[in-house]
Amino acid sequence: MENLKRRHITPDVHQQPSPPVYEQYNPATLIDHNYGDEKNKFAKPLPPQQRVVYSSNKYIAFCQKYHRALIPAGLTLLAFWTRFRQIGLSNIVVWDEAHFGKFGSHYLKNEFYFDVHPPLGKMLVGLSGWLSGYNGSFAFESGHKYPEDVNYTGMRIFNAFWGALLVPLAYLTARQFKMSQRASILAATMVLLDTAYLCISRFILLDSMLMFFTCLSLYCMTVFNNCKNEPFSENWWLWLGMTGFSLGCVLSVKWVGLFVIALVGLNTIEDLWEMLGDVQMPKKTYAAHWLARAVCLICIPTLVYLFSFAMHFLVLYRSGPGDAQMSSLFQARLAGNSFERNPLDLAYGSKLTIKNYGYGGGLLHSHVQTFPEGSKQQQVTCYHYKDDNNHWIIRPPRVIGNPQDYEPENGNVRFVKDGDVIRLIHPPTGRNLHSHPIAAPITSGQWEVSAYGNETVGDIQDNWKVEIVDDLVYKDKERVRSLTTRFRLRHTQLNCLLSANNVVLPQWGFKQIEVTCDKRNRENDPHTWWNVEEHYNDNLPPAPKNAYKSKFLHDFWHLNVAMWTSNNALIPDPDKEDILSSTPSEWPLASVGLRMCGWGDDIIKYYLLGNPAVWWPAFASLLVFLASAGFYLARMQRKIHDLSNAQWDHFLYVGKTLFLGWFLHYIPFCIMGRVTYLHHYFPALYFSILMVPFLLEHWTAKMSNRTQWIVFGIAYVSVIAVFIYFAPVAYGMSGPISNYKGRRWLKSWNLVDK
Amino acid sequence: MRQRRFAWSRSPSRSNRLDPLYLDDKIWKAEQQQKRRLSTNIKSFIKSEPAIVLYLTLWSFYIRLWKIWQPGSVVFDEVHFGGFASKYINTGFFMDVHPPLAKMLIALVAKLAGFDGAFDFKEIGLDYEDANVPYVAIRTFCAVLGALTIPMAYLTMKKTGHSTMSGLLVALMICYENGLITNNRLILLDPILLFFTSATTLTWVNFCDKDKNYKPFNLQWYFWLAMTGLNMGLTASCKWVGLFTIATIGLPTIKRLWDIWGNTDISKLKFMHHFFARSLCLIVLPIAVYMAMFVIHFHSLPNTGEGDSFMSPEFQQSLAGSNSHMSDTPLDIAYGSRVWVRHEGTRGGYLHSHPHEYLTGSGQQQITLYPHKDDNNWWIIEKPRNARRRRPDGPGGIEYVRDGDRIRLVHALSSKRLRSHDEQPPLANDEYHKEVSAHNDEDSRNDRESDWIVDIVAHNENDVDSKYRLRAIHSRFRLRHSTQRCALFSHEKKLPEDWGFGQQEVTCMQNSKLPKTIWYIEANQHSRLGKDVEMVNYNHPNFLAKFLELNKIMWDVNKGLTASHPYDSRPQAWPFLQRGISFWGKDGRHIYLLGNPAVFWSSTFAVVGYILVAFLTVLMEKRGIFDLYNESAARFFITGWCAHYFPFYLMSRQLFLHHYMPALYYAVLLFGSMFDLITIWLTSRKKMMLVIMASYCVIYAYRNFIPITYGEPWSQISCENAKWTRTWDFDCVQ
Repeated sequence: MENLKRRHITPDVHQQPSPPVYEQYNPATLIDHNYGDEKNKFAKPLPPQQRVVYSSNKYIAFCQKYHRALIPAGLTLLAFWTRFRQIGLSNIVVWDEAHFGKFGSHYLKNEFYFDVHPPLGKMLVGLSGWLSGYNGSFAFESGHKYPEDVNYTGMRIFNAFWGALLVPLAYLTARQFKMSQRASILAATMVLLDTAYLCISRFILLDSMLMFFTCLSLYCMTVFNNCKNEPFSENWWLWLGMTGFSLGCVLSVKWVGLFVIALVGLNTIEDLWEMLGDVQMPKKTYAAHWLARAVCLICIPTLVYLFSFAMHFLVLYRSGPGDAQMSSLFQARLAGNSFERNPLDLAYGSKLTIKNYGYGGGLLHSHVQTFPEGSKQQQVTCYHYKDDNNHWIIRPPRVIGNPQDYEPENGNVRFVKDGDVIRLIHPPTGRNLHSHPIAAPITSGQWEVSAYGNETVGDIQDNWKVEIVDDLVYKDKERVRSLTTRFRLRHTQLNCLLSANNVVLPQWGFKQIEVTCDKRNRENDPHTWWNVEEHYNDNLPPAPKNAYKSKFLHDFWHLNVAMWTSNNALIPDPDKEDILSSTPSEWPLASVGLRMCGWGDDIIKYYLLGNPAVWWPAFASLLVFLASAGFYLARMQRKIHDLSNAQWDHFLYVGKTLFLGWFLHYIPFCIMGRVTYLHHYFPALYFSILMVPFLLEHWTAKMSNRTQWIVFGIAYVSVIAVFIYFAPVAYGMSGPISNYKGRRWLKSWNLVDK
Repeated sequence: MRQRRFAWSRSPSRSNRLDPLYLDDKIWKAEQQQKRRLSTNIKSFIKSEPAIVLYLTLWSFYIRLWKIWQPGSVVFDEVHFGGFASKYINTGFFMDVHPPLAKMLIALVAKLAGFDGAFDFKEIGLDYEDANVPYVAIRTFCAVLGALTIPMAYLTMKKTGHSTMSGLLVALMICYENGLITNNRLILLDPILLFFTSATTLTWVNFCDKDKNYKPFNLQWYFWLAMTGLNMGLTASCKWVGLFTIATIGLPTIKRLWDIWGNTDISKLKFMHHFFARSLCLIVLPIAVYMAMFVIHFHSLPNTGEGDSFMSPEFQQSLAGSNSHMSDTPLDIAYGSRVWVRHEGTRGGYLHSHPHEYLTGSGQQQITLYPHKDDNNWWIIEKPRNARRRRPDGPGGIEYVRDGDRIRLVHALSSKRLRSHDEQPPLANDEYHKEVSAHNDEDSRNDRESDWIVDIVAHNENDVDSKYRLRAIHSRFRLRHSTQRCALFSHEKKLPEDWGFGQQEVTCMQNSKLPKTIWYIEANQHSRLGKDVEMVNYNHPNFLAKFLELNKIMWDVNKGLTASHPYDSRPQAWPFLQRGISFWGKDGRHIYLLGNPAVFWSSTFAVVGYILVAFLTVLMEKRGIFDLYNESAARFFITGWCAHYFPFYLMSRQLFLHHYMPALYYAVLLFGSMFDLITIWLTSRKKMMLVIMASYCVIYAYRNFIPITYGEPWSQISCENAKWTRTWDFDCVQ
């Protein structure tokens, strides 16, 4: 509690009227006047108040006066220059431009596609294409040359713009962490001159946007933290809201955004916890703090995320390559799709295709080939593509009850109702959907499903009972409707459920999906749910307009599940060498680079590689922070106080935030099973970069001004010099790669072939 | 007692010399006094601490040992652990995922009871009595160890400052825990593991008691510290679950050291003493104990056995009578050598071919990996016809095979050449896998598809030559295909039993990582090499190498136990006792591992209660209200529960209810602690009433499940009635 109060007070000390004092801010001057401990040798008295004295030279005076705007503006200009320089040099599709450029084209053509990432980043890519006058006609095939009419330079500049903004953000964030100007500019320089950041920003990729929003979130959070002593003020609300908005944007670009959300979340929880200890705070105020954070940090990001998907569905109204990933009902909505003409209610004699509702489910399928083992009857599988062999006709069941029950009623049709027993005939072969107590070919614990007999030959094992799960649009469960009704098919004899669990059949089954009759009776498993996709019946009218309206939230959820599932399916073969992918352990020390395009002599080559003078100190700074924190803690436990309370609080706050930021953006990749690439480390790197000037300043605070300048000078010079040496890897290397072999500092860099 | 009576009987004779009457009176008085003292002594003993411990021990022996001979056949995992006992007696090496101590103890008892190792415990339900297996003795041993946890639980409670009443309640709850009873009565590792776990807990609380007042380093202090370390080592030597016990002790140790460091009255030197004493006793000692168990293990199993195939060839070489025992082989390999090529990345064995064809792809002769010695493993190294000739560089005009050479491998028995071509292999279905077969139809002059390039990727550091030319065992190499840009590869996928004989698939893989493409030559013959050539064999591994290898394999096999079992369960089901395990069933009698619901549910309730109280305490402390509840013993118990429970969530291997038993032990201890907390305001009389009522509930629940605990007969109706929740699936069929 004492600490908390002091932290509230500390900013007051520095709210001096004169800006220059603010500029001289460094950790050593973070003195706590409440703390009158004699032992504190390092606490210096506050420098006497200074009057602002501007230089007599009017230009210098101007700079002194407006340095707050001038420095970020200068950094931004530098960033633009480094990012935009020679941006169109390579006129071929580089690296993942093949994906993201293509997705951008889909937005311009309004065709529905499927991808593992949320839509915001790709919509921005689409926007960049629209702004630069691209019509979406180019296929973005990897390594292909851009045609004349594609203004790829414009698209790249749009992307590089986001990447350039990292530089002023790094400066401003460092300032919010109360670093001196010298240190803050070092932070910005390291971001500016990191070859990896430079390289990844210059192409049509999502990373620059992801980085921008991640860094923006951190910046907003730090500004908000500095508003703590004036809660519920305009500024306070503004930055809290901005934090939430920016979090929503990161999440809508890539799910990696969850990590920065975790960082902000932990910061918020700590904040609220500290406030709980303030016994003087009225309970109402405390509740208001909770509420404000819930609204700004949970509701706003959720809304932004939902909004990005709403836009996504709105823009992509045409049928496209991603249809099959979505529910049948969603597909009915897309222009250029025939489902809209489907008659609504199913009747006996209807011809239909039946889709498995489980994620990645295919259409129930049969073909003349037979099972090589088991019953050796005709195969029944699930198949993902349109084919006449997917068709089935509903027929009355075999020898059950009164045949008249299946005569057409009121006119010429009889509708299928919940609980009806039916038989399904496969029109191309005339066989019936059949199951029997013979083990399925792969999942041997379940019964095999085959196609057997014909219209006259057959037995009661051809009978299936329709059990309606629910209807997505209509409330009642009476009739089975195409697209909207989800139902199970239960085998009447064996009491098992028709299901497809995404098990792939071997070559004899053409690698289609195995269909089994599941005796485990898992009624809640979507893999046992089916819905009708196409429906033909000449006796029935087509469905009325808007009969197949899917709900946004439902589609949203379905798409997110599909993204999650296919993201997790990106598992590499452990025995296969993939020179593009890398493991997280290789990242922090920049011991791996990434060839972003072909490596021939006539191609402009880009090598995604970190600037060693940035990456190595950045990683070292994390270890130094841990060591220093451990050192201080152990000494404090022993009642030796090297820092005043306020200094320690500040040190811990900045170090903890940056370390956690790095940790949360790095460790999850070690656990993930999916394939990982070098650029996954970039958000984590940003946090560790900010740690470098912070620790440099912290440990040089007690040294003379001259020594400080020498230390920082070395840092500046090494970053700049190494950048100049390595700049070609990011700006494009022309000619034979052997010209650059001297830059292969580590053996593990595959810059040149061994 | 006896001592006193002796003194009393002697005393009259000494005083007889004085006045008889007076003496008589005095004697009488003394007699009375002595009698009274005796009776009070007995009375006080009856109520004393040791007596309570004695009663508890005897009573738990009764509960655990009741009808211990029943059932007289193999139950559940007795299949494994009984089986291991017979393997120890037969001294053949075997592989198991558990460390050896508990199994060795079982084997020792079996041996002492006269078991000859002839019975193999092959499946559940095999009869013991016919086979003359001393199973009662082994089960008694397990049950006694299991029963001893009960007095230890009581002593732990007392030592941590709890009331006798809560100590008794805890002891009774553990005594009447059906799951523990079932598990302790059988030939399993759990009773032994639990014994050492609770012994560790007891010795640790004794140590904490000595350490409490900062009066360290005396004999008692060291004794309890060392005993804790010893017990930790023994626990971990039974099952790796013991590592959780080590964590349970480790966390409070770190906390305590941190506090000592913060106590400025204690000099840094003294802190270092604290630190090193603990490191020695709690780290070094357990590791030494654990390793010692493996010394005994290796010593007990000197012979080859069914576990050989899990181990590296070097390890197998150290086993006596090994089938795969290698005799020395010539070191140098030249063109014309007959060789056995062994795969390093897997334990699949030798490159093998036999006169059977693939049913898929090219339909040519199969290439597989075969783990045993066989004449079909022989390959002859030949030079492709069109390859450049070099001058013979070896003795007798032979030409060595050098790094980067292009060679052909000819199967000795069928004279077919190893080759690869653009066909899909039978199992691996990615396009970067190519089929490998044996064939010799083509004109061999132009058959580039059977040319392989030797790339030596690793070599023996002491043999520089093996880097530049192929040498047996010392050179590890890849076989790169000359046209397909792929390397000879094998993985743990078995060809179908019916045409591939369940042997391991061999393919040629493009862009493969190193490990599974590495091969070496194990045996080697060349007609032109004389008798006096340099010979080579596997190095004999030392103990440390064997120890590390075995532990790594135990870890891998353990991780691979992911197959599902009809009675496996996930950790979230355990605290609520959602489901048990069917252990045994015969003639309408069943044994089903099901805990005592009263104990399970109340202990889980205690855990939840503790967490709530602790959370409230932290919350209140933040609000400036201190010392609401701070019970170090309860904190220790919850640490134990967490450490023995949550790690299971991270495991993807198959898990069973009995994995919860150590956590349950701590949960019950925590229940005792919480019981004391709630009843702090009650008089001891009321408290006793409460204990009696609670015990009644526990015993009532226990009696309900006696039939499935001990394998007693049961009527179908009472069996159905005993299914208190729908998820308990014991079999009621008579």
